[in-house]
Amino acid sequence: MKKLNILQIIIPVAIALLFTGAYIAHLDFGMLSSFGWSTISMICPLGALMALLAAKMLVPRAVIALVVAIVLMVIFGRAFCAWVCPVPVMQKFRDLVARITKEGITSGSSSKKALNDSTDVTDAVDASADVAVAADVAVDADVDADVASDKVVAVQETVDETLAVKGAGELQAGAYSSCAKKRGAAIDSRHIILGGSVLTALVFGFPVFCLICPIGLTFASIFLVVNLFGSGDVTWTVVVVPLLLVVEIVFFRKWCSRFCPLSAFMSLSGKLGRFFRPKINDTTCRETTTGEACGICGNVCPVMIDPRHPDVSPAAISECTRCLACAKSCPTQSIKIPIWSSKDELLQKTTPLPPEDKQ
Amino acid sequence: MKENELPDKEKEPEIDQGMDTSGGDSAISSKNQSVEGITRRSLVTGVGGTVALCALGGVRFAGTTPLVRPPGGQDFERLTAACIRCEKCVEVCPRHVVKPAHIEHGILGMRTPTLNFDRDWCNWCEEENNGHPLCVEVCPTEALSLPEGAEQETTILGIAELDSSVCLAYLDLSCRFCYDACPFEAIHLDENHRPSIITEKCNGCGACEAVCVVFENASISADAKERAVMIRALDEDGKIVNGLPGGGMTS
Repeated sequence: MKKLNILQIIIPVAIALLFTGAYIAHLDFGMLSSFGWSTISMICPLGALMALLAAKMLVPRAVIALVVAIVLMVIFGRAFCAWVCPVPVMQKFRDLVARITKEGITSGSSSKKALNDSTDVTDAVDASADVAVAADVAVDADVDADVASDKVVAVQETVDETLAVKGAGELQAGAYSSCAKKRGAAIDSRHIILGGSVLTALVFGFPVFCLICPIGLTFASIFLVVNLFGSGDVTWTVVVVPLLLVVEIVFFRKWCSRFCPLSAFMSLSGKLGRFFRPKINDTTCRETTTGEACGICGNVCPVMIDPRHPDVSPAAISECTRCLACAKSCPTQSIKIPIWSSKDELLQKTTPLPPEDKQ
Repeated sequence: MKENELPDKEKEPEIDQGMDTSGGDSAISSKNQSVEGITRRSLVTGVGGTVALCALGGVRFAGTTPLVRPPGGQDFERLTAACIRCEKCVEVCPRHVVKPAHIEHGILGMRTPTLNFDRDWCNWCEEENNGHPLCVEVCPTEALSLPEGAEQETTILGIAELDSSVCLAYLDLSCRFCYDACPFEAIHLDENHRPSIITEKCNGCGACEAVCVVFENASISADAKERAVMIRALDEDGKIVNGLPGGGMTS
């Protein structure tokens, strides 16, 4: 779990550094909006789509890139979100800063102490699987992690471990069993913004969303600084672009799940295929073999999919970012990510919850 | 239908999920209200985001300053429509003259490619790529795109303008760097060896601007705010934009 989290920071940062180095050396690698070598480029599928519609012309390379991107999105779904996109890294940094400052204020202790506390908690997490669940839910909760540290402390001090897991499972079942639609299964705000991005490109004749895309702005910020120091390119853009990026990261806390049209695009495309989806082996799963409530896989999921109980899962399986958190956290190693899952496997019945957990 | 509980429910599910260990049945059993599959909150957020995009799209009509663009970027409509601001053209330019446009020149064109002749000029990648501009070649969306058979000599990127008030030659210092640099013989030297621009021959390649030494001799031309020879962008009618008040020296 810990190791994977670090990888999810290292890989996007390494990608950003690679593009930055290539930009400085004029190697023509491009950036995430369009990367590749020379005339062969992989273009951002949304950018390609908007550019095609805005310019109202058929650009073979853009069409090919769009098709390739859609194929990749069908196969890998939102894997980009977990492993490549720089935005979640910045969000994690934001949450870290928020946690440190908040702890400093509320407990009156220094930031350093707060950090030490967090480290202690992390150690404890390693020691106890069940606490790990509770703490990871708190720490890794996609957003709102500024309150996470409070939660971690609370969990550590007061929570009966079993109760924590059971309670969480109970709550989930209770809270979501009556959902008409789960996130990703129905249209949500991201999809509307995806439609809005395409529509505005068509109406206004330029890819409007590109101006505010946080992925584009990330690389624009880096490149602007490179140009500022590298070739004395002094402009207000070097102030405005990073500022806009910071605003998007700080004030649009749930950018990925509420605003990002790319996330919508990927999750929509991901519905078309059934590749690389977490699959539970019922013959070893703790819930199916012992009948005990477990729910760890559902609780560690950063996008709130419950692979064990798809019918009460707050998010549809198409939201899966292939972060492997569920597979890694499963106490019986029962979750695998097969290349292809048949339809029957995905529609597998939920194991009946033990009587005391039933609504 | 406890609709008033919807926002809270939607807002903090992560916290509930992780923390609430003491039941709290009344708070959590409310239905996550949805209308035809979409929650009201999602609808508001999505429509709000789209409205914001429409407002941003309004910069289309805010007006922009024409800029000197790389080869194939002369059609402003096409350039802004197809450019996804990926800066591949900036990166690939072997002479480092392609630069992202500044926000000062308009939000619409921000980070689209423009030319800067501070250090070098554009020769359509003569040595590097046999006269086929690399920026055009790498552009993934063909925002930069040359018509069939386009030639360097006849593709007008801009027009040089010469400011005689700061030009060293007009201060009788017999400088002729620009004259020597011009690949198209678009600079004429008069009997006193003072240069002037033959606008019909100039295509705005920037060779003259790149070699102009006014700033290196700033103690002489102390008033100079820019080089004595500058490539100016042209508007749709082919007129110079933001040129010298009285026009430059032409012949």
